[in-house]
Parts: sequence; structure tokens; C-alpha cells
Amino acid sequence: MAHAIAKSDYTAPGGAPAKTFELFPRPTAKTGLVGWLTSVDHKKIGMMYGGFAILFFLIGGLEALMIRTQLIVPNNRFIGAQLYNELFTMHGTTMIFLAVMPLNAAFFNLLIPIQVGARDVAFPRLNAFSLWVWVAGAIMLNVGWLSHFVPSWGFGGAPDIGWFGYAPLTSKLFTPDLSTDMWVLGLQTLGLSSIVASLNFIVTIINMRAPGLTMMRLPVFCWMALVTSFLLILALPAIAIALVEVLFDRHFGTNFFEVSGGGQPILWQHLFWVFGHPEVYILILPPMGYVSEILPTFSRKPLFGYPIVVFSGAAIGFIGFGVWSHHMFTTGMGNVATAAFAVATMAIAVPTGVKIFNWIGTLWGGHIVTRTPMMFALGFIWMFMMGGFSGIMHSAAPADAQQQDSYFVVAHFHYVLIGGATFALLAAIHYWFPKFFGRLVPEFWGKLSFWIIFVGFNTTFFPMHFLGLNGMPRRTWTYDSNMGWNEGNFLATMGAYLLGVGIFTYFAVLIYTFFKGEKCGNDPWDARTLEWSIPSPPPEFNFKAVPTVHARDAFWYEKTHREETAKEQAEHMQAEAAHGGIHMPDQSWYPLLAAFGLMVGAYNFPQMDAPLVLFGNTLLSSHLPLSLAGVGFLVLSCYLWSLEGPGGYHIHLDADGRDTTPRGDHY
Amino acid sequence: MTRTRPVQRKIFLFLVATLGVITLALFRVELAEAFSLSGPQSTMVSAGPVAKAQWDLFMVTVYVTTFIFIVVGSVLAYAQIKFRAKSEAEERAVPPQQQGHGNPFIEIGLIASSVFLLVLIAIPTLRDIWYTHDVPEAERANAMDITATGYQWWFKFEYPGDMVKLPTGGEAPLVTGNELVVPAGVPVRIHLRTIDVIHSFWVPKLAGKVDMIPNRPNFLWLKADKPGYFYGQCAEYCGESHAIMRFRVIALSPSEYVRWLDNQKNGARTATAATVAAAQQATKVEFASFTNTSPRSSLSASGEMETDPFGAWRKKQQVPAHEEPKLIAEGHQLFSDKTCMNCHTIRGHASKTGTPYGGITAPDLTHVGARSTIAAGVLENTPERMSQWLNDPEYFKPGNKMVHGIGGMAGYFKPDEHGNPVRNINLNNREINALVAYLQSLK
Repeated sequence: MAHAIAKSDYTAPGGAPAKTFELFPRPTAKTGLVGWLTSVDHKKIGMMYGGFAILFFLIGGLEALMIRTQLIVPNNRFIGAQLYNELFTMHGTTMIFLAVMPLNAAFFNLLIPIQVGARDVAFPRLNAFSLWVWVAGAIMLNVGWLSHFVPSWGFGGAPDIGWFGYAPLTSKLFTPDLSTDMWVLGLQTLGLSSIVASLNFIVTIINMRAPGLTMMRLPVFCWMALVTSFLLILALPAIAIALVEVLFDRHFGTNFFEVSGGGQPILWQHLFWVFGHPEVYILILPPMGYVSEILPTFSRKPLFGYPIVVFSGAAIGFIGFGVWSHHMFTTGMGNVATAAFAVATMAIAVPTGVKIFNWIGTLWGGHIVTRTPMMFALGFIWMFMMGGFSGIMHSAAPADAQQQDSYFVVAHFHYVLIGGATFALLAAIHYWFPKFFGRLVPEFWGKLSFWIIFVGFNTTFFPMHFLGLNGMPRRTWTYDSNMGWNEGNFLATMGAYLLGVGIFTYFAVLIYTFFKGEKCGNDPWDARTLEWSIPSPPPEFNFKAVPTVHARDAFWYEKTHREETAKEQAEHMQAEAAHGGIHMPDQSWYPLLAAFGLMVGAYNFPQMDAPLVLFGNTLLSSHLPLSLAGVGFLVLSCYLWSLEGPGGYHIHLDADGRDTTPRGDHY
Repeated sequence: MTRTRPVQRKIFLFLVATLGVITLALFRVELAEAFSLSGPQSTMVSAGPVAKAQWDLFMVTVYVTTFIFIVVGSVLAYAQIKFRAKSEAEERAVPPQQQGHGNPFIEIGLIASSVFLLVLIAIPTLRDIWYTHDVPEAERANAMDITATGYQWWFKFEYPGDMVKLPTGGEAPLVTGNELVVPAGVPVRIHLRTIDVIHSFWVPKLAGKVDMIPNRPNFLWLKADKPGYFYGQCAEYCGESHAIMRFRVIALSPSEYVRWLDNQKNGARTATAATVAAAQQATKVEFASFTNTSPRSSLSASGEMETDPFGAWRKKQQVPAHEEPKLIAEGHQLFSDKTCMNCHTIRGHASKTGTPYGGITAPDLTHVGARSTIAAGVLENTPERMSQWLNDPEYFKPGNKMVHGIGGMAGYFKPDEHGNPVRNINLNNREINALVAYLQSLK
């Protein structure tokens, strides 16, 4: 493992050094705009994922507040039907694809290489490509908002077909404008990003583990990331196919879902949920991983039942592929199919329950230290449990016939995705913030934000159970005052404002801490995994010496076996120095350029029937040449990317871990 | 590690308590309302065997999960309190050397009990999947079939068992729009179709929803135990005005149902001076809501409609006290002049030139005057509401086809050569009044 590929090791067949071709010199800036745009450092990429994700999390939250404001009183005219439909479509799409998934990707990037004792991910440039492709997808999904200010763009606003885009509402007959095409291609682009990133993480976790880090010593977070990555590469092709079919129906007259041609709209639902249900676990498994890291640290005890927690995570991944039709209990699947999916859905409650039991087992007999991350983690267990119970209620298919598409479902999945995923993410941000920024978030303000969020969240979503049981359907921009929904909606909206205040407090405190927070050492929480053994913030090369892992909680073991660890590390450092120093990957422009080409191609493709107009002048009769140019640029970038070669440079450290590489000699 | 100091913790508790008290004070009166399940679309207040089975099954899941919540929640709460480090010293204390990694017997025991509890839910679930799917065998001979079709954004109901004669000759099933009338105590199988996108048929008090999916014949069954007036609503997002794609189900006693059916089978009523005078002899009904001129921003119905919608529906079956035959005749003519007939049917009526009012892309209006609501359950069917609706349909139902046109037929607007909408139908106040008088006369 200490062995690294140096530039000279990159050989052509026959053993001669491979010829590389560099169109322009490889970027070397570590800071500044170029440093970030061309970075292949997993920590920088992780932070960019995180930054963008938090931005979209706040945008999605703003959309939610507008939705709640519209529903504060019956027959409200705050926003109209069309804008409301765009808002709930984009709220769902944003929170899932542009907030929770990239936040998880941020933590995958930040933590996986360090937790497995590696210096970067397996394919650093591919990692940058994932990020920039994700950014391209995010831009395409949201570009429609701008057409509210420039109506001539022809987007018809942001997408308004629901985050689930049920056919045939997506057909050209019902949504002729470009917003639906942008939604289709935006999701497709995001899917590409996720598949590429997942392959990278799978290889990283399996191949780049430090010596002694067997799979059953892997931190639970890495296990959950591994399961999630497999879910992504297996689930995304289903929606990729479905999205291609919609695109073909819209532009090439195929009849996959086109009713007049005998198409089957129900097919979309199956394809969508074959992706969509594993997606739920894609969102929630990483948060289960954070919680499984945070609870042991603050209980000062190892995770209870590690193998069972890991196994149940994998079991959830497997069974998660067999329950998709519980989103379709009202589509008339027939009794046998309904029964099978109902029972499978109940079955998935078992491994989920097992995780909760083991988290409680972790607390049992420990010394529970109630710091802010622990508050969020405990809040997660309570709220996720609530969401789980309403999930069990949905598995009873006939009862679900009343709840499907009602506010009861809205309550259920917000308990899972805010009370569950988001609470765990807020716990994780708070927990790992000192590691990556070297400053501790003030406890008082952290806990205050927790309580505001906790109270606001429950005030918003608990009444929604009752709204749903009282017959209020989802995705409705207005309701009448005689339906008995006035009080519940008013309460929910007030709760949403409170939740907004809590989220604002949370991030305001983080920004304050970033600039002014109390500095902290390597291991402020007395934690158990490898990332806490290195400086905060971690150096570019992560580890001055590749660690040897002897136990499940690797760093906990190191802390109790200091002499042995010091001796091993000295040996590893010597071996690496003898080999030429620490090998690091070179930066590159091509991931960014390739993603740009992809975006230009995808953005212009659905506009191939429309002339290209700029400031009132018609430049081209079709967007097709631009689309082809974008694809050409993508192919060219990938070609030059491969000619450029992996590159790399060495860093030399002294015995204390200080960088002794002569200035300017990194390359 | 920094602990929060006790002072801070007190500030904390104070803040949380204050927040709670403010919240409670603000909503004390209404809090109970927020958690009551007494609305017209309540799934708890079931009025038929299907909805009842669904609610009872839901309660089984509530009992089981509440039991689990109490057990697991107590253990979790106990662990959180009992094992909390109470002082800085305790936090820094060396953790127990013998750190437990789990216990297979506890794990297996917990898995087994979870499975057992889920089986408790699974058994009634399986039973009810079969029960709620179709009319029970024993009652099947007695069952009635109705076809419901979803349109953006209204419902059409057809009675294949009750044919009516068409003015053009031939027979077709009786058609109504947005208000489904069924006999109480009779199982009804509703065949679900759609003309455009996916809709979902949901009358919470009678039965859970089943989707109306293109190229896929679905059905559901329901039975109203007693006569009553029930609220329903589309439950699958179907485009711009999904929120106000509403309908009603009215269950009548068998004898009242037959009376209603007989009247429906007749062609549209023609109000001439003679028929109006005859009707005045028979009934003198004054509708409270007719005098209600609430601003249009408040869509809610009159008090009468809210407290007793069934009674209000019954009153709508009768001819009102004041009718102006001249105005009605004018409205009759306008119905063809303004091209309403292109989309709407009024069975038995025709234009001056003899073209029957037989459009099929919009709700059948043959007996619209006898309905309690218009515009797919959005507005109470009063002359005021109807004239507001005709004056500005876009306001009440954004995107609706009466404004934007459908299937190449123009609505209030039609596209010019650049695709921009230009006004197509203009209605002045006099014309709206005439149309309202005409439509209200169609009992």
C-alpha cells in the first residue's frame, strides 16, 4: 500500500516510459480560483460538494417556505397554481438530488479516503469530473427559474411535473415547453455524476484500505457508503433508461409512454420506482453511517453489534430493490402483486429496526456526552423511529389506499428525510467541522439551533399526519375553508417558519465559527476512527505515514497503544521516503472542461427544433450544431485527459511530518 | 471538549419553554382542531364497508406501532437519562475497559419479536387486500356498475346500465359530471378511465383511492351505508389545477334514487312561460345562498351548504321561485352563439338551426341546475357563483380548457398565427345573466 505510482512508472507496453501529451501546462496552483477549479484533492472536492449542496439546501428550504406560506390560509392567493407546481416539483428535486445526495457525496469525499487510510480516492481526476458534472446537472435543473425574468427563453418556468415526473404528464401534449426537457436531461446528468462517483468510491473502499484494515474492521460509515454506492450503480440505470424513453417520446415520436400510440404510462412508474425506492435508501444509509460513528464517540463505547449493523445495512440494500411497488398500491396491480409488495415492505422494517436496537445498545452502559452532534444523533433516532412507524402503517396496502398521495405520506417521508437524513447530516456537519476547519462550533449556539430545529420540525410535520387522515391530498396549491384543514395548515406553516429560523441559526453559527471559532486540536471529541489521528485541517497528503490498522476502532486502538503505533509509523515513513516520498496526483483542467462540454450538449439538444436567437438576431436555424459541438468538446476533453496521463509528484516529510520538499520542487 | 455551563442550560430550558408557551397561547383554541379528524374528507369517519375496513386496518398498525414505540422509546429514554455523563469528571472518566461489542441472543430475540409483531399486521393486511379489491362474491349479483372518467380537471360519470335516448337517434349511457349519484346500501363498482393524464378517484369516507391510468382499466368498489353527501377529490397530481379537481358523491335511498334517475333520463328542461308558471304553483323554495354575495376570494360555500350540503343538494333538485322565461330563452340561444355547445352537451336542446347541443369534451350540462356545485366541486352552484365563473374562469381554475381551448377547439382565447392567445369569446354582463338563468333552469 505504501507503494505509489510515480510519473516514471507510467509505462507504455514494452516497458518504455509512456509518452504523454499536454496541450497546455498542467495547473499547479493550490489556492485561488484555478486551484479549486482544477483540484483533484478529495478534501477540496468534498468541500465544494458540501458548499454547493448547502446552497441548494437553503434554496430548497426557501421553496418550502413559499409553499407553506401559500397554504397558511385556505384559498390563499399568495402564489398561483403554476408557480406552486414549479415550487413543489423543484423542492423535491432539489432536496433529493441537489441537497441530501451531494451532502452525502461531500462526506464520502471528505471521509472515505481518510477512514480507509488512503491519500486520495482511487481516481482523483474522475472524482473532479463527478463534481463538475453534478454542477452541470444542477444548473440545468434550475435554469428554468430565470425564464420567469426572461419569458422569451421558452422554458415556461422551472419544471412543473412533480419530482416523480409521471407519464403522460411529461408528454409534449401536456407539457410542451422546455422545462420538462431540462428536468429530464438535468436528472440524467446528475445520474451520470452519481454513477461515476460511486464506482470511484467502491474501488477506493475495496482497493485502497490501509494494511490491516479488513472489511470487518471498516468503519460503519464506509460500509454504508459502499452499500450506497452499489445501490446507486444498480438503481440509476433504471431511471436512465426511463429518462431516455421520455426524451425519445418527446422528440422522436416513440411510444414508450405516449398513450395515443398505445404506450404504457404505468411502465414509467415501475422504472421510476425501481430507481426511486433504492434512492430512499441511498439517501438514508449514509446518515445511518454518520450516526453509527457519532453515537460510539459520545457514548465512549464501541458500536453495539457491529456485524449486525453492517449486515442489516446490506440487507436493507438488497430488500430495498424488492419493494418499489409499494409506491404504487393504488395503481391496480392486482391482489397478488399488492400482497407481495406489502409483505416485502414489512420485511424491510426488520433490518431497519435492528439498527435502532443496536444504536440503543451502544448507548447502554456508556458515558453519554451530550454535545451538539450527539443531540442531533439522538434526535435522529427518535424522529427516524417515528418515520419508520408511519412507514409500517403504509405497508398495510389497504390502509395505504387512504394515505397514498395525502399529507400523511408527506408527514411520513419528512420524518424520514428531515428527522432522519437531515438530522444526521446536521450532526455530521457539526461533528466533522472541527476536523476540516480546525475550529469548534460553540456548544451553546449549536444546542440552541438543535432545539429550534427540533421543535420547528415537529410543529411542521406532526400535524400533517392528521391533515392526511382528514383527507387533504398532496401537491394541491389551495384548499377550501370548510374541509377542517385550516388549523393544521396554519400550525404547519408556523412550524416551518420556526424550522427556517433554526436552520438559519445553525448555518449562521457555522459561518461565525469558520472565521472566529475556538481553535481545536486533532481530536476534540476523543473519537475512534482514523480521521481524528491526523491534523485539523488535514494536510494535502492526509497521513504522514500510512497507518496500520489493528482493530475496528483504529484510532482508539492507536490511542491505547502509542508506542507500538509510533514504531510502525516510523517504519512506514522510512519505507515511503526510500521509495521517493509521498506520491500525490496532479491537478487537471480536463474534468471541468469535459463537464462543460456535456452541459452544452445536453442543454442545446432538446432545443434542436428552435432557432438560436441572441439579442433578437437569429444566428442559427437550430440548436443542433451547438449540441453536437458540446458533445464534440466532451469527447475531445476526454481524449486529451487520457493523453495527459495521471502525472503526479512527491512530497518529502521530516520525522515530525513537516513538508521538507524544496519550494518549487513539487513537480 | 467544552460542556455547556449550567447557566447556559437554564437559558436553554427557558427559551424552549417560552417558545412552547407562546405557541400554545397562540393556538390554544385551535390546537384541538388541528388534530381532529372530523372534516368532510376524514378517513376516520367512514360511511361504507370499504373505508371502514381500511380504517380498522390502519388502527391495527397504530396499535402495534404504538406498542413498539412505548417499549423501544422507554428503553431509549431510560438509556439516555441513566447513562448520561453528569459531570465533567464523568465525561473524562476512562471508559469501561471491557467494551461490549454486542450480544447475539439479544439480537436474535429482538429480530424474532419484530417479525412476530409484523405478522400481526400482515394477516389483516392480506385479508383486506382481497376484501377491498372487489365486491364480495355474495353481493356481486346486486352490484351496480358506473364508469368514471378523469379529464383535466373534472370527472365524468356514466351509467352503462341506464341508457338514454339521444335526440339524434340511438341510445347512450346516462352521463353526469362532477356529482356522482348512487343508491345507498348497494355495492357500486366504479370503472376508472382517463382521457388525458393520470388522475385518482378518492372519496375518503367511502373508499381509498384507485388511480385512473391511461391504457389501463382499473376499478374500485364502494358502498354507502346510508344516504349522504360525500366529498371527493383527485389524488394524483395531474397538472395546473389538480388542487381543484373535486367532485361529490351523493348517496340516495333507493326510492329517491329512482326519482332522481327518472328525471336525469329526461332531456333538458325547457323553461317556457307556461312551465315556469306551473312550477311556481308547485313549489316555493327560497335559497338562502341565492342572496349570499360573498367576495369571490372566499370560495367557501354559504353557511347552508356547509352545515347541510345534502339538504342543499336536495333543494337544488327543485325549480326555484323566480324564473324569467325571456332571459332563459336568450341564454338558450347564446349557448350556441358563444360556441358553448362545441364542448358541452345539453341533451334535448338544440340551436335555432337545429344542431343539437352535443359537445363531449366538457361536462354534460343537461341537468346542471340540479347540481350543488359547479366547476368540478369548486364553487357552490348559485347564480352569483356561476356568473363569477363565466366572467373569469381562469381565476377560479387556472389553465382550464374553457379558457384555453382543447383539442383544436378555441376557448375564451385562441392562438393567433404566432401562437399568442387572443380573445375569442366575449361575454357582457347581460349575456352572462342570460346564460346563468338558462343553466340554472336545467333542473
